[in-house]
Amino acid sequence: MRRYLFWGAVIVLLAALPWLATALGQGFYIDLARRNMIFGIAAVSLNLILGYGGMVSFGHAAYLGVGGYAVAIFAFYGVHDGFLQWGVAIAASALVALAIGAVSIRTSGVYFIMITLAFTQMLYYLGISIEEYGGDDGIRLKGRSQFPLVDLADGVQFYYLVLALLLGAVYLTHRIVNSRFGMALRAAKSNEARSRAIGFSPYPYRLAAFVIAGAMCGLAGALLANHTNYLTPDFMHWTRSGEIMFMVILGGMATSAGPLLGASAFLLLEDVLSGWTEHWQVILGPLLVLSVLFFKRGLAGLLARHE
Amino acid sequence: MTFELFFEQLLNGVQLGVMLFLLAAGLTLVLGIMNMVNLAHGSLYMIGAYFAISVTQWSGSYLLGVLAGLAGTLLVGMAVEVIALRTLYERDHLDHVLATFGLILFFNELIAILFGRFALFASLPSYLQGHIPLFGDVRYPLYRAVIIAVGLVVAVLLWYVVTRTRLGMLIRAGASNRTMVAALGINIRLLYTVVFGFGAALAGLAGLMAGQIYTVQPGMGELILIQVFVVIVIGGIGSVRGALVGALIVGIVDTMGRAFLKPLLQTLLSTYAADTAGPALASMLIYLLMALVLALRPAGLFPARG
Amino acid sequence: MSNALLEVRDLRKSFGALRASDDISFDVGQGETHAIIGPNGAGKTTFISQLAGNLRPDSGRILFAGEDITDLPAPKRARKGLARSFQITSVYPEFSALQNVALAVLARSGRTGFWRDARSDPSLTGPARHVLEQVGLHERSHVLAANLAHGEQRQLEVAMALGTGPRLLLLDEPMAGMGTEESQRMIALLASLKGKQTIILVEHDMDAVFQLADRISVLVYGRVIATGSPEEVRANPDVRTAYLGEDS
Repeated sequence: MRRYLFWGAVIVLLAALPWLATALGQGFYIDLARRNMIFGIAAVSLNLILGYGGMVSFGHAAYLGVGGYAVAIFAFYGVHDGFLQWGVAIAASALVALAIGAVSIRTSGVYFIMITLAFTQMLYYLGISIEEYGGDDGIRLKGRSQFPLVDLADGVQFYYLVLALLLGAVYLTHRIVNSRFGMALRAAKSNEARSRAIGFSPYPYRLAAFVIAGAMCGLAGALLANHTNYLTPDFMHWTRSGEIMFMVILGGMATSAGPLLGASAFLLLEDVLSGWTEHWQVILGPLLVLSVLFFKRGLAGLLARHE
Repeated sequence: MTFELFFEQLLNGVQLGVMLFLLAAGLTLVLGIMNMVNLAHGSLYMIGAYFAISVTQWSGSYLLGVLAGLAGTLLVGMAVEVIALRTLYERDHLDHVLATFGLILFFNELIAILFGRFALFASLPSYLQGHIPLFGDVRYPLYRAVIIAVGLVVAVLLWYVVTRTRLGMLIRAGASNRTMVAALGINIRLLYTVVFGFGAALAGLAGLMAGQIYTVQPGMGELILIQVFVVIVIGGIGSVRGALVGALIVGIVDTMGRAFLKPLLQTLLSTYAADTAGPALASMLIYLLMALVLALRPAGLFPARG
Repeated sequence: MSNALLEVRDLRKSFGALRASDDISFDVGQGETHAIIGPNGAGKTTFISQLAGNLRPDSGRILFAGEDITDLPAPKRARKGLARSFQITSVYPEFSALQNVALAVLARSGRTGFWRDARSDPSLTGPARHVLEQVGLHERSHVLAANLAHGEQRQLEVAMALGTGPRLLLLDEPMAGMGTEESQRMIALLASLKGKQTIILVEHDMDAVFQLADRISVLVYGRVIATGSPEEVRANPDVRTAYLGEDS
């Protein structure tokens, strides 16, 4: 029941936020919350494979890039149809995830971490080397994606679209992880030898989860490109993957509330620290180390303690 | 394409390979023996470069800089192991990855605070400048040749230590069966610190040598780290021999690919296509190679564990 | 021979110079309870691992219901009805006892789904509950596996093997680490399965072995030195010297 209360409160709060922010004359909070929610979606997708699937993928940011560049490249050529752009963003991310996953998931443990890292970096270099679309400098979005009923140029409408997509992503993930497929995936994480002994081969489940997560993160990438109006290969940099991973851990792995809490907390922490000093990473680094050492259960773990 | 150019690039590939080997050797040993994924290995490489350059500039002596680079990295490495990493051995890889990621952010920013974000340039002492003649008309930069020589010497030394000394025996045993070594009553903690420090010193060596060729700036470690991972995946975890073979393969493939793929494609495709596809494909080459090796040998070419 | 459910022909497995399985030939008939005994280091777990598909033999063949399964990986063998319990408890610690068995039922069903909640699916929880009743764990259905007592966890091991609806049970020391009372319960459980299930039982507990087994094979240094009824094996002089010694 605590979970329903939590989500109820979140929905009410997030739904009311634009109105509150405008009333208080602090419009930029809408942008801030929207950014947090977009990374929340990315974190939800990583949580599926990391928190529930046990796959330490250090290459997840690649899909932010694939999704983002799908949108940006279409816009570059004057194609602004949102359905087409986002459809391709999702499909392309799924395909890339399928290709990378098919090779990487055969391995396990340390190899998997290093391989996903390597493939992400490969995509990053690919992004840099294609001068056509900005290369190292990145590419400006010629115009936001266009949809029939929603005008993304309107910050508030875009906000509500992101909110709806975030809630959809959370709900979809919730259903997936409790379905037959999800239980088999979680079982493989819990005890792989046991799973094989009762008849599950983990590979197809992990690959499918990897593809789903990639597609979802590709959508987040499309949203992010629209949000920032500017896109660089840095979207795909492996340090970005590390940040998303931290969001998932900080929020609490394998929980429904974790990703959103973690994304918001991490980004807000970054904002606060960078307000103090331009060298905020020198503080963030040790904080991350300490949180790994002492704070594994994450924020959602704090909330759940009373259950 | 001339023979001289080909040979020069081949040697450059070996030189890169040797540097990758220095980094990979330390990393693969730490991975094999302590089962720890250390993303901050690149930071040690960076620290080696910075120690060397700053001491050289301050003292005016290149050799002093080299010593500072080695000693400094050794000390920092061991300090990091004792302070931050020791408690993580029992934890899973995710924790290692996250904690060392935090260390990367810390070290990069620390260096930025101390030295600024812009690239530092180091100059070579006069006795390391210039070219050496090889054969015919072929000449090769002296400094790069020195790097190759140093790397090969280290490889031989490592081979000697690993196969002929007691420490090496412990290392090999630890790489294939950690619990057994601990059960035999060996002071595991000390072994770990020594191995880690050793690996750090190798990284520092690579860093101080790299300073003259590659850009020295915060974040330089991560650029080369990914290639080191590719080396380890190809070579096999825990295997120094694998690290050497993998490093040479990666170094040569990457260097030759970058040098010759575009001209090669230009003979086959239009100039425009080659201009775009060439560099893109060249930067992807080692990852494709890695995927190929994995498809055939999922545990790498020379895995330490059978 | 031909109505044997499981046939093993000339199985060989070496680790370097060590012959863990030395030309083992072996068969188990439908409905038979066949025990494998032998001193420590005889290669019993290596043998079970090869039967279950966790280890590849160097040479030899394994036939299950007439089909050659030697090259099949473990999950495929499980789906064909070869279920295994582990010597060292290997369950899903963060799931409840019921969910543990439900997962076994899920694996067997071969059907998957991405939407319907599997936790409350009666086609999974129904059979799981039935199995838990069979092994005597139904009152602990909702306890997390990690919080079960050791003996209960061993029962859960067997339950998971049963949950897959097997044709052959490979039980690797199900009574490992159990006290007398718990062992009696386990023996009673296995006795209740006799005839209905085909069981290969690796055990050190001689009480259990002689009560339950239709036939016994004695494994020493990777070789089967004797096979026969409990009485035959007990009387066999080679067995006495190699293994039973002063114990019986």
